[in-house]
Amino acid sequence: MSRHSYTAALAIGLAAIAAGCAVTSMNVSSHVRRGLDIGQYSTYAWAPADALPTGDPRLDQNPYFQDYVQGAVEKQLASRGMLASRAGTPDLLLHYHASIDTRIDVSRSEREYERCHSSDCSSWVERYEAGTLVIDVVDTRANLLIWRGWAQDSVEAFENRDRMRQKVTEAVRRMMATFPRAGSDARPPAHGGEQP
Amino acid sequence: MRVSRSRLAAALTICSLTISGCAVRRVDSYLARGVNLASYRTYAWRPVQPGATGDVRLDNNEMFQERVQAAVERQLASRGFEKTVAAPQLLVHYHANVEQRIDLTELEPWESCAECKPFIYDASTLMIDLVDARTNDLLWRGWSQSNIDGIVDNQRWLEEQIDETVAKIFERLPFPFSGPLAPRESREDAGLE
Repeated sequence: MSRHSYTAALAIGLAAIAAGCAVTSMNVSSHVRRGLDIGQYSTYAWAPADALPTGDPRLDQNPYFQDYVQGAVEKQLASRGMLASRAGTPDLLLHYHASIDTRIDVSRSEREYERCHSSDCSSWVERYEAGTLVIDVVDTRANLLIWRGWAQDSVEAFENRDRMRQKVTEAVRRMMATFPRAGSDARPPAHGGEQP
Repeated sequence: MRVSRSRLAAALTICSLTISGCAVRRVDSYLARGVNLASYRTYAWRPVQPGATGDVRLDNNEMFQERVQAAVERQLASRGFEKTVAAPQLLVHYHANVEQRIDLTELEPWESCAECKPFIYDASTLMIDLVDARTNDLLWRGWSQSNIDGIVDNQRWLEEQIDETVAKIFERLPFPFSGPLAPRESREDAGLE
């Protein structure tokens, strides 16, 4: 192993440690309306933040969470030349929805043993709290959903505000990477999802 | 994404190796007694209730809803049904549901097993109803249950899955309607594929 790749491996290892035990992979993808000309849109606004009961106090009425999401989205849109609408009807209306569900997965600790011993193998299964952030983009004139992106990950990190911010920023950045660019027709990548 | 893909691949391997509970797709249908669908010709969609699917990625997802509707309309058209606005004879309705399922392998107490990892997957059910518009009676219901782990995240794959699922469901619609109906398949034959 060359010194260079050794350093790289070390850096990745350290990054993984820094991320704590939650080295779960964030699942990010999107759906896009077919045959869309994204170039026709240049302004956007946020839909009124009314229907956002997430059912979880970590996200409900959490001004930080809302601020991180909106900030991250606005930054990504600005890099594409989209402008927040100041007056009149915007071309696009943005809406986000966050939720937390209890999901099950093959437990990380048992995975290492590659063998199950209890009579029903149930020790393999573990519950975790999965957060999903969904961002909808609606064409205001046609009143049609033209794009929906989502990111799903464990919300363990959300107890810590900095970690929450990192997660939200990563989620939005990777999600918006799948948002079609002007000039390209709205065709999802051949293998779905985005390349991290 | 990659994780779910490899999980699906693993799932398929497990399914092909062992005849466990994790069938890839199960299709079945119900035809109300004495119904002759040949006497129906026009249909309309029952207004979609923006119901919860159990998967926030699909809830109120118009792109998903439109794909399902288009696939159903194609199947109905190929059987001679006509979509109408005024006074339809049939109302069509569908319901999609996704939930996480777990298949555990039972072991004898003295065993330990390397292949017995529990199988956790997203199971989806798509159900299509044909209802008499006048009496509101259910005439026919077809449904499909399948493993869609990793599929929702891949739009093209999901679209193919929708088209295929709807086609498989409609294969069970008795057709042609005239003439003696083919004997009903026994439940054992009913679409484990």
